[in-house]
Amino acid sequence: MSRPAKNRPLNPRRIGVIAGHTFTQLVRMKIFYFLGIFAVIILASNLFNIQGLGRPDLEGIDVLRMIRGTSLGTMTLFSVVIGVVATALLLPKDVEDRTLYTILAKPVPRLDYLLGKLAGVMLLIFVSLVVMDLLMTGVLSLRTNMVIGEQAPRIANLSQTERDAFLAEIRAQGATWSLHGATLAVFFRAAVISSMALLLSTVSTSTLFTTITSFVIFFIGNFQADAREFFLSSGDGITLPARLLGLGVAVIFPDFQQFNVIDAVIEGQTLLGMDLVALGGIALFYVVLHSFVSWLVFAGKEF
Amino acid sequence: MDLAVEIQDLVKEFRPAGRKEPLRAVDQVSIRIAPGEVYGLIGPNGSGKSTTMKALLGLVRPDSGICRIFGNDSMRVDSRQDVGFLPENPYFYKHLSGSETLRFYGKLCGLRGSKLEGRVKELLALVDLTEAGNRRLGGYSKGMLQRIGLAQALIQEPRLVILDEPTAGVDPVGSREIRDLILDLKHRGITVFLCSHLLEQVQEVCDRVGIIFRGRMVKEGPIEELLAVGDQSELVLKDASPELMAKLRELVAADGKAELVRSGRPKTTLERLFLKETVNRDEP
Repeated sequence: MSRPAKNRPLNPRRIGVIAGHTFTQLVRMKIFYFLGIFAVIILASNLFNIQGLGRPDLEGIDVLRMIRGTSLGTMTLFSVVIGVVATALLLPKDVEDRTLYTILAKPVPRLDYLLGKLAGVMLLIFVSLVVMDLLMTGVLSLRTNMVIGEQAPRIANLSQTERDAFLAEIRAQGATWSLHGATLAVFFRAAVISSMALLLSTVSTSTLFTTITSFVIFFIGNFQADAREFFLSSGDGITLPARLLGLGVAVIFPDFQQFNVIDAVIEGQTLLGMDLVALGGIALFYVVLHSFVSWLVFAGKEF
Repeated sequence: MDLAVEIQDLVKEFRPAGRKEPLRAVDQVSIRIAPGEVYGLIGPNGSGKSTTMKALLGLVRPDSGICRIFGNDSMRVDSRQDVGFLPENPYFYKHLSGSETLRFYGKLCGLRGSKLEGRVKELLALVDLTEAGNRRLGGYSKGMLQRIGLAQALIQEPRLVILDEPTAGVDPVGSREIRDLILDLKHRGITVFLCSHLLEQVQEVCDRVGIIFRGRMVKEGPIEELLAVGDQSELVLKDASPELMAKLRELVAADGKAELVRSGRPKTTLERLFLKETVNRDEP
């Protein structure tokens, strides 16, 4: 045996090369720009609600809340759609175009190829979310200052303590660290759905099947916690098949409800660092699990 | 010294949907290619050529038999360190330019920095794509795609190059350029394993050929041996007068044993005629 090379799996440099290429591919496919423009339009549209400031029922704060809700909602929509569509598209496209042959004919372990593709999609989502987060922060900061300015005559007669509490209440609806944490939670959720789409695309050769199934799983995953509780509840009248069905749903589908912490953040609640770390851990668990199963399927695949 | 390619009793079966019996694509095929040799695998469509190549690259798993590249099991990733592969009708990433494509594949093979850049320039020059190096592949012609494909196959300086129909869909000029590149590889001592439908080209560049039919190797050996007609001799004369030809016929007839099978003017090939009248034409 001659010139044995060391090409062990999980080579960060090689994964980085594939991830960087995937990122470039998606950017040049204009997906990034299209969704970026879409997000900018949504965020920019908030500026046109300026006349709402004068409405006494809103008192400014609800407008800020609306901006947070719209922005995070757009981010969620964007990240989930791009996570599913891009991941579902890339693998079958490489097989169809036979570019996969030329890549796997190089000393590239199949695991590195899969992780590189997934990392490229995640990088695209992450960069997009950072840009959107910055836009959201800018718009919110602007609007928060405007709200404070609008409320200045009203709070002028309040005591210092009351004024500080009122201002703190307004600022809590503005750009906060919790809001950035919520953006990170959006990314975690997108990472999980992307890895799920990767797993499906290793099983299926159809982009359409992978896309639709991923969205169905995302939908069911939002009710996974209910299915788990259904299985664990000791209520009478629940039959064994129904209980087992609940267990099946709870085991197979990721629990996307856990990432709904963004709803509380939109309402102005604080997102604790520990909660965010826990969410990151859950997301990592799913991504590793999905990647591992994807590799098991992909390793035995013939082209 | 290890063989560049060692395929022994390779069997590969597929199970097409709706068919009960498995389809045996490759049946007990054995191929041994020495380092520096140019080996051609020829056969009709669906005879098992591409499947044999894919098994050698680890893209399909043999049902039985072994495939080795320079002594390494071809199912192991490490065996691909020494191999360059050009698939049939490759579609590389259209969003990349020629030089970006080579950089991408070079990085996958662990090349970095000035060594990679030097290699990219060298290969673009080798395949005559220096000027088109910064253009995206989406605008490349079929021949240019084949040449950039050949360049990516050579990026990590492999000792073995596997070419699946390297001239498929390429015009005669492009085909000739690829043939010249293969001959260049041969002179550099690189082992080439190719399959092609252009039998004349295989005849021109290959040291040995194997003929595969319905998954089985039906004939294999050095090209000179396979093509030689055992009981015939050839004599090609230049400026021979009719008198001389008449004398030769008389001599053959006088021999009593030998027989003149054919005489006349040897013919060029259509490819040579085409090239002479197009790219090699003296006047515009």
